[in-house]
This record gives sequence, C-alpha cells and structure tokens, in this order.
Amino acid sequence: MKKILLLLVSFMLVASLSACAAPQDDAPRKVTLKVFMTFPRFQEQFEDYFEQFKVKMLAEKNIDVTIDLEMPISDQADQILKARLSTNDAPDLFTLHAIADIPSYYEAGYLSDLSNQPFASELLENVKDIVTYDGKVVALPLESLAWGYLYNKDIFEKYSLTAPQTITEMNNVVKVLKDNGETPFLLAFQESWIPQLMTALAIGGVVTSEKPDFVDRMNAGTASYTEIAKIFDIIDIIMNNGTEKPFEVGNAAASADFAAGKAAMWVQGTWQAQAILDINPNINIGTAPLPVSENVNGSLINLSVSTSLALSPTSKNKDVALELLNFILDKEASSALFEELKFNPVAKFHDYEVFPWADEAMSYVALGRGYRDLSLPGAVTGEQAKLLQSYYAKTVTKAEFIATIDEVWANSLE
Amino acid sequence: MKEKNKSITLFILPALLFYAVFTLAPAFGGIWYSFTNFNGLNPNYEFIGLRNYEMLIKDKNFINSILFTLRFVGIMVILQNIIALILALLIETRTKTKTLFRTLVFMPNMLSMIIGGFMWMFIFTRALPYIANILNSEALNVSWIGDPKYSFIAIIIVSLWGGVGYLMIIYVAALQGVAKNLKEAAMIDGANTFQVFRNITLPAIMPAITIGIFVTLNNSFKVFDVVYSLTGGGPGRSTQVIALNIFEEAYSFNNRFGYASAKSMVLFLIVFVVTLIQLIIMRRKEVN
Repeated sequence: MKKILLLLVSFMLVASLSACAAPQDDAPRKVTLKVFMTFPRFQEQFEDYFEQFKVKMLAEKNIDVTIDLEMPISDQADQILKARLSTNDAPDLFTLHAIADIPSYYEAGYLSDLSNQPFASELLENVKDIVTYDGKVVALPLESLAWGYLYNKDIFEKYSLTAPQTITEMNNVVKVLKDNGETPFLLAFQESWIPQLMTALAIGGVVTSEKPDFVDRMNAGTASYTEIAKIFDIIDIIMNNGTEKPFEVGNAAASADFAAGKAAMWVQGTWQAQAILDINPNINIGTAPLPVSENVNGSLINLSVSTSLALSPTSKNKDVALELLNFILDKEASSALFEELKFNPVAKFHDYEVFPWADEAMSYVALGRGYRDLSLPGAVTGEQAKLLQSYYAKTVTKAEFIATIDEVWANSLE
Repeated sequence: MKEKNKSITLFILPALLFYAVFTLAPAFGGIWYSFTNFNGLNPNYEFIGLRNYEMLIKDKNFINSILFTLRFVGIMVILQNIIALILALLIETRTKTKTLFRTLVFMPNMLSMIIGGFMWMFIFTRALPYIANILNSEALNVSWIGDPKYSFIAIIIVSLWGGVGYLMIIYVAALQGVAKNLKEAAMIDGANTFQVFRNITLPAIMPAITIGIFVTLNNSFKVFDVVYSLTGGGPGRSTQVIALNIFEEAYSFNNRFGYASAKSMVLFLIVFVVTLIQLIIMRRKEVN
C-alpha cells in the first residue's frame, strides 16, 4: 500500500513539472536587483520612486523588476558593505561617500566606468568633477553639499550684523555679540568630526586662495603644515569665543542648543540645518563662508558630494541596473524625487526650489567663492579631529599639532 | 569507557563548534592579517612580514595607550580589591539586611557597561553640574568628561561601580569559609578585631585575593565598553586605552586592518603572559 502511494505521489510531482513549459515569447523577463543605500530616513521615498521605475520597465521593455532594497543605519553600513564587497557578494547598486571612498574603492576594483551613460552628460560641472576619478565618471552623485558655517539670522539681524568676509570683520562681529551678552560660537567637541570641520574649511580657504598646489606637494613630501599655520587664526577666534564645556556636547545636543539660540554661529554643515529646523521651526538659518585671512577670496564655500550611487562591475543584470541608475536622473521624474529628499540639484535640468540657506551658499559659489573639497588622506582627517580636541584641552601646542600632522601625512603615503 | 567519551564529546560539540567558528577562527585570521597590509576593503593585499610589528614599536600613540592602560590597571587592581573586600566584610557583619545589600552591590555588574557608561555620562554632564550649582560647590563643577585630569577619575569611578560586585561575591564566599572556631579562640585570647582580621581571616582568604587580583588584571587590560561610551578615548587621545587604539586603527579613518591585527596580537600576548603567571602561582599554592 505504502509503495503504491509513494509511486502515485512521485508520478504526480513529475507530471506537474510539465506545467513548466518553455518560456513563452510575451512573458516578461524577471530580474532581481539588489540595491544597497545608506538612507534609512528616506526609505519610503525611494520605494515609491522604484515603483515608478518598475511600471516604466514593464511597459517599455517588458522586464519585471524586483528591487531588493537594503537600507542599514549609516554607522554599520560601511562595514557591512565592505564585508559584502570583499567576499564577492556585491549588491548591483550601492552608495558610497564620493570624496572619502571613491579612491580606495576604485583601486580595489569595485566601481564601474559610467562616463558614457546618459546621466553623465546631464551633471552640473562641479558635481561631475567630484565623482570623476582617473578620468572616468564612477558614481552618480545624490547628496551634493555646499557648506560653510551656520549662523542664526535672527540674532544677526537684531544687532544689524552681516556675515563677515575677513578676519577683521569676524572680530568685529564677535565683539558686538559679546558686548550684547550673546555667545558668538557654539562649540560641540564631543564627537571629533565636528571640530574637524573647522580645519576642513580653514585649510580649504587658505590652500585655495594662497597655496593651490599644497596638497600635491604634501603628497610628494615637499611641504609642511607650517606653511598654512595661519589656519589657527580663525580656529583660535572660534575656540576662545565659544560656549562652555564643549566636550560634553554631542551633535544632537548641539543642534538643540543652536535651535534654542544659545549661540549665534556654529561651524557645522548645511546637512544639519534640517535637524535644527525640526527642533525649532521658527529659526532662520543662514550659511556663510568661513573667513581665514584679510583676503576675501580665502573665505570660501566648500563644495563636495557625499553619498553617491555606484554600479558593481560584478553585477549580473548590468543593463537593468544601468536603467535604474539613469532613472534616478530621469529628466521628468527626478526633480520631484530630489525636491522631496531636499537634496541640492546635481543635474542641469533640476529646477525645483531649495532651502534658503542652500540658495545663500550657491549665491557665494556663483560669485566664484566656492572650492572643491580637498582630498586629504583619511588618516590625516582623523588625526586632525583628535588633535583639535587636544588643542582645545591645551594638551597639544600649535607646533606639536603641525609636527604630528606632517608625520601622519608622511606615514599615510607608504 | 569509549561510550562515555563519545556521549561527552557529543554534548560539548555544539559549544565547541560555536567557540571554534566565532572565537578561534577569527583569532587565527587575526594572526594571519597581522603579517599583511590588508585595509579591510581591497582583496589584493600583500604579505609584509614583520613590518607591522616594527611600526608599532615606534607608534607613539600605541605606546601611550599601553602606558595609560597600565596606569588604569594598577589603580583598578588596588582599589577594586580593597573596596570589594571592605564591602564583603561589612556585608558579612550584617544579619538581617545581608541579602538586600548583596543584591544592591551586585546589580551594576548585571548591566552592560555600555549602558552603565551612558547612564554615568548623564550623571557627569547633567546631574553633577546641577547639584554643584545648588550647593555652590566649585569642586564638583568640573568638566568630568572634558578635562583630561578628571576624565580618568570618571572612568575609574564607573569601572569600580560596575566591577566591584563580582569580586565582592567571591570575597563573601571566601569569608564564609573562614573557620569560626579559630576566630572565636583568638577573641577569647584577647585579640582585637583588627588583629583577628590580619592574622586569621586574611591568610585564610589568600586564594580568593589571588583570584581577585588576577581577574581584575585580566579584565582591566581589556577594558573597552566603559571608556568607549563615557569619553570615546577623548578629549583627543587622553583616555585612549589599548583596545580603543586598536578599534580606531581598524575601523575609523585609518582602515589599517593588518596593522590593527598586529596590535591585537600584542594585547593578546600581554594578557597571555598575565594569565600564565596566574596559573603558575595558583598551581604552586594548590600544592601547598
């Protein structure tokens, strides 16, 4: 009895296999794309946008696309992505930080050449420049940034102040604020990347206006930070005229303090403006370039691209992945997406309204007062962050700072 | 006999497998990477022999972190054992509230030290300044986390708070093992409490003290959670312990996995030597 039953069941199973007929000509081709993005806060918006893509692909190319969207928190995302890439489990499309990651990822062979894609010719010049490496466009820029320091427009208006363009003007602004009982700068040094923004802007300003070949010469081992020691002029002004106990204030606490008007200026990027606005919707935030000397042309807005989307060369569905990539900068649908995400425009056809501080930053750039974020070695950026903390705590002098950074830069070249 | 061995092996196999895959395999992987220049990303890394080890001898930050950790270990070993012993003695003399106090002192040990670190962060940065304002006390109103002098004290306080409970339990057990008749005989002969303690109790709990010292030694060298959540090694590098130095070398801007693995090997050797000394001394005492 058992044997007959077994035979019957196996016969039925085999018979059902025949239902898998040869694929008919008009059945859509099924494709699964694995997309890895570090924007957990934008999950909904991207899922909606991908729905539009799926509809388009089915209608135009008869391809049924399933998109496997992974959105880890940015803390772990880096490590997860690196582990996946080095074990040959790369997602088809993944995000990376343009300035920080492109060189090392390119050298490791994880990026593809996208120069001939339709979107590449639509990119704004300065944005395209940042995602180009070794003469090729290697990523699609998503988050582009134009930043300096943030200032509280209401406080500035109250004392009839305008954003200072030189050190002398900055000293005047600081004096007026202090005479009226306001704290000029918000200091939040608990998370070391925040004080590091000061060196980023100061070095950017000094190098671009006075020593344009500084980074190249440092990389060749023929320069020293003593040449740009004047960055400490503005850094000292900021550190000596700021809020108390900066090491106990992290990013979140600082945003709350700035939103509450505890200080007039904060050396922080425009990416934080949204969070501050969420805490206090009535605050008016402005962006201005950080003065580094008496030269107005040293006071510059930093232009960079952070999160960008790249295509893995080992993708098994390159054609569909490229369609998705180009769709992100689709002439009709893209503006709506970028406006919703509140990203800055990256393509020539982006024509939506941006935040007032983004406009303010771009107005400086239009006057030629912008510079491309410098590519310092990662070890140097990290060390600057820590040394600035020590400098504030007075455990490190200017001379020691300079000597240590020179050494770290030299070591990173090995 | 063979049957018994087989069933024993089967029982420990799952745990052994877990241990082998998640602890041993990465450890051997670490040894291999310490001889390469792997940066965590590029699959084409090179074997560079002992260069990582040559570099770390000259690495000022690494040496400083070792010295700082030694300072930390020295103070922790002394303070943690003394405080645990005093607490154990005090609790032993209680009759009614013994269990209550034992539980209270042991509770911090059950918390993850990361959570403990964040709790104390709130106390140091919000609660203490508030109290200092009310009491108008300058001494309390320092920057516990920001000032390098005080952040060390802050870390010691939180580590003691978290670690004393465990040692106290060991000492309570040891104290309960001291022969009561010996103590009573000594008291009848006219010895005061301090003499009883020094000449009878102390020698009797020597094994527990040895354990306490070595447990504290081992754990203090590997300290990470407390420092990471309280100060993050800052400001700058002033409270950076060895484990943090290694962590940052591998996972922050530097990305030098191979080099960090070499440093981990050094930490492993330090803890290994300490454990070896402990085992030798314990074995000698056991023979006695």
